[in-house]
Amino acid sequence: MDHFPTNWGRPRNDAFDAYATHPIHQRPYNGPKDTFADGVQHTQQPIVTGTSVLAIKYKDGIMMAADNLASYGSLARFKDVQRLHPVGQYTVIGAGGDMSDFQYIQHILEELSISEISAQDGHELGPVEIHEYMSQVMYARRSKMDPLWNSLIIGGFKDGKRFLSYVDLLGTTYSASTLATGYGSYIAQPLLRKAVEGYEDTLTEEQGRKILEDSMRVLFYRDARSLNKYQIATITGAGVSISDSLHLETTWSFAEGIRGYGAQTQ
Amino acid sequence: MNTFVQRFAGSSASKELLAGNASITEDEDFSDAAWGSEAGFGSLARGVPSFMVPSVPDPASFLRLHTDDHADPSCRIKIQHGTTTLAFRFQGGVIVAVDSRATAGSYVASGTVKKVIEINPYLLGTMAGGAADCQYWETYLGMHCRLHELRNRERISVSAASKYLSNLVYSYKGMGLSMGTMICGWDKTGPAVFYVDSDGTRLKGDLFSVGSGSTFAYGVLDQGYRWDLSDEEAQELGRRSIYAAGHRDAFSGNTCNLYHVKENGWEFIGNYDITTLHYDGPGNVAGSPGHGYGYDLRVEGHSSANPPPAAAPVVAAQA
Amino acid sequence: MASLAHPQQRQFNPYSENGGTILAIAGADFSVIAGDTRQSEGYSIQTRYAPKVFRLTDRAVLAVNGFAADGNMFVKKVKQRLEWYRHAHAKDMPLRAIARLIQTMLYARRFFPYYVYNILGGIEEDGTGAVYSFDPVGSYEREACRAAGAASSLVQPFLDNQIYFKNQRPAPGTSHPVHLPLPTVLSIVIDSFTSATERHIEVGDGLEIYVVLAKGRNLQGLEGIRGMQELTVTEDGERVFVVRRELKKD
Repeated sequence: MDHFPTNWGRPRNDAFDAYATHPIHQRPYNGPKDTFADGVQHTQQPIVTGTSVLAIKYKDGIMMAADNLASYGSLARFKDVQRLHPVGQYTVIGAGGDMSDFQYIQHILEELSISEISAQDGHELGPVEIHEYMSQVMYARRSKMDPLWNSLIIGGFKDGKRFLSYVDLLGTTYSASTLATGYGSYIAQPLLRKAVEGYEDTLTEEQGRKILEDSMRVLFYRDARSLNKYQIATITGAGVSISDSLHLETTWSFAEGIRGYGAQTQ
Repeated sequence: MNTFVQRFAGSSASKELLAGNASITEDEDFSDAAWGSEAGFGSLARGVPSFMVPSVPDPASFLRLHTDDHADPSCRIKIQHGTTTLAFRFQGGVIVAVDSRATAGSYVASGTVKKVIEINPYLLGTMAGGAADCQYWETYLGMHCRLHELRNRERISVSAASKYLSNLVYSYKGMGLSMGTMICGWDKTGPAVFYVDSDGTRLKGDLFSVGSGSTFAYGVLDQGYRWDLSDEEAQELGRRSIYAAGHRDAFSGNTCNLYHVKENGWEFIGNYDITTLHYDGPGNVAGSPGHGYGYDLRVEGHSSANPPPAAAPVVAAQA
Repeated sequence: MASLAHPQQRQFNPYSENGGTILAIAGADFSVIAGDTRQSEGYSIQTRYAPKVFRLTDRAVLAVNGFAADGNMFVKKVKQRLEWYRHAHAKDMPLRAIARLIQTMLYARRFFPYYVYNILGGIEEDGTGAVYSFDPVGSYEREACRAAGAASSLVQPFLDNQIYFKNQRPAPGTSHPVHLPLPTVLSIVIDSFTSATERHIEVGDGLEIYVVLAKGRNLQGLEGIRGMQELTVTEDGERVFVVRRELKKD
């Protein structure tokens, strides 16, 4: 045994096997293998990605926003992607991260909804249940080292109660009165908190839309993977409503006056 | 015997891993035993409870990546370690003495660790290396020692118990277990001490010391050890050796726990603060020298706080 | 060696660290278990209210700290096992049995650890207050007090001094008390967290202090505490209370 204490309690380094005592079957690698020998390749990386999702609580329920861009690296590849997805009558799920994984999530939630509806037992999935389900799925996949590469915001309104919560590829969950994923968590979250915290029960829909629009605009100015085309979803006692694509009005004339920002060279 | 070993015993590691992952996919399957009273280990008949393994090509390197704060100080999971432990056989039985410090990096995570694991009334195990590895497997060993008694109507020998443990940890070799332990007891053959570690080494011997402070402990132990030590002398030797290690090894210290294994089982002798041992000694106990182990020897006569005894009246007279 | 054969693939890191601190102190006939409610990742505060301390039974409270997803999942599984026990035996699992259960559950993940530091507090069958602390792979120990998490290295030395009276010498003719009274313990807990909030960026927002009282004990001054709420389910047994306080949010 290695008697030096800082080496204790941790695995020995197999690259250096001083006495060649290491069992052969556990040697990490035994020379070249067939291309397909590794079988399933887990944990790749996100390819076609969506950026921030924003969400707030307001007087009537939950309001969420996400733009319509799916990027392929730095390429703005698809500009008509809907990243706010309704689930049942009470819930909207918004996703950042890998869009193919998000489509898979939409698929499993569709299957879940169908099996729940066909049970005809008078129970309907609300946002609480869907968030719990998704957090279990996300945590199970991370534990298999094969994560669904997304950050999800789940918002809903059922039985007179608002619900807003987050879950990501590690299975980490939390809820708050304002949530934002990706760059939004750095750029938009402070704006949202300032505008919403303490006013959750008084903010009107109109005020909420203004807050989200302003935040989306700020994101569009600074997040290079964002788009000035976005959607807003509201989930209230009246149900789920996801808007058509909206256009962000932006001004760039200020750039001319700023050295290094606009068209001037040097 | 146990599902984990089987999973990794095949020649094609990756194939076995995939099979293993398939079983993980079906959630952590609970036996009926988990449902009832045997909430922990469950039914022993089914062997060792199965362990979840990350589905990566090399699980041991995964574990190293996340727990090896030696190679990567920013790694998150810091496992506790650090120790001096000793045990020796003599005419009066076995003396087992350990320190009580656990360190995580340079942080002293605990100063009150019980590093002597009371396997049963006549078997002791010591803890060096991964604290959880030692606690868990020696508890598990204790259950098997009890089963041995029930099956064979007699106590397990120290030799058999230690061999059971060494075979067990050997089946996990290369997976990252870390333990260096001494299994001590008294059986038909008399007092016995076996050293067992996570590499699978098992040694019979009269005298062992394990851990970062072992070199310091050996120094004191070797110069004072005789077979025909009296009980009091032997206990004092154990205390003094752990004190030496606690004093000089940064990874050892806080307190010393002393046990004495006799013919009818082990006996806890006492807990001694290393600092108190340094200044005042072990106090009024058998074998005590009646003074501190370190302080007086070094400073007596060198400061006004510790004037030499003979010189004291002279100083007083001048004043 | 491996890099020659496999194309360099970026390894997915299944762990994160969500900050916060927990602590527990055992008294003669009570136990106090506390944690802040901030959840963070890096420099971002994810939420100001994510509980880290959970009532398991009327005599056991578990605090978890480290990677929040692992922590929540672990608490969920412990609660499940305790419910199974309740169904099988028509009583709550004793505290020391819960401690051993937690050890085996953590150790079952020895090769893919839960990145969670657990502190279990409550009342033993003999009516004494107890605290058990665990490392991520299940080594555990009964103690009088323990702090874990982001600010553990700030809080633990303070507890050593105030609970164990380390490096303190009693006034001549007196000795240090073995157990502190509940009001003293509560103020030590609150002071620990306000101080940790001042000096550690991952600690703050809110404080939840759980108090478990042994069977038949009076409230020992708990009745006057602001923001106190009782969570006891069964009658004539141990009682559980929670005290919620605000911490600085900057």
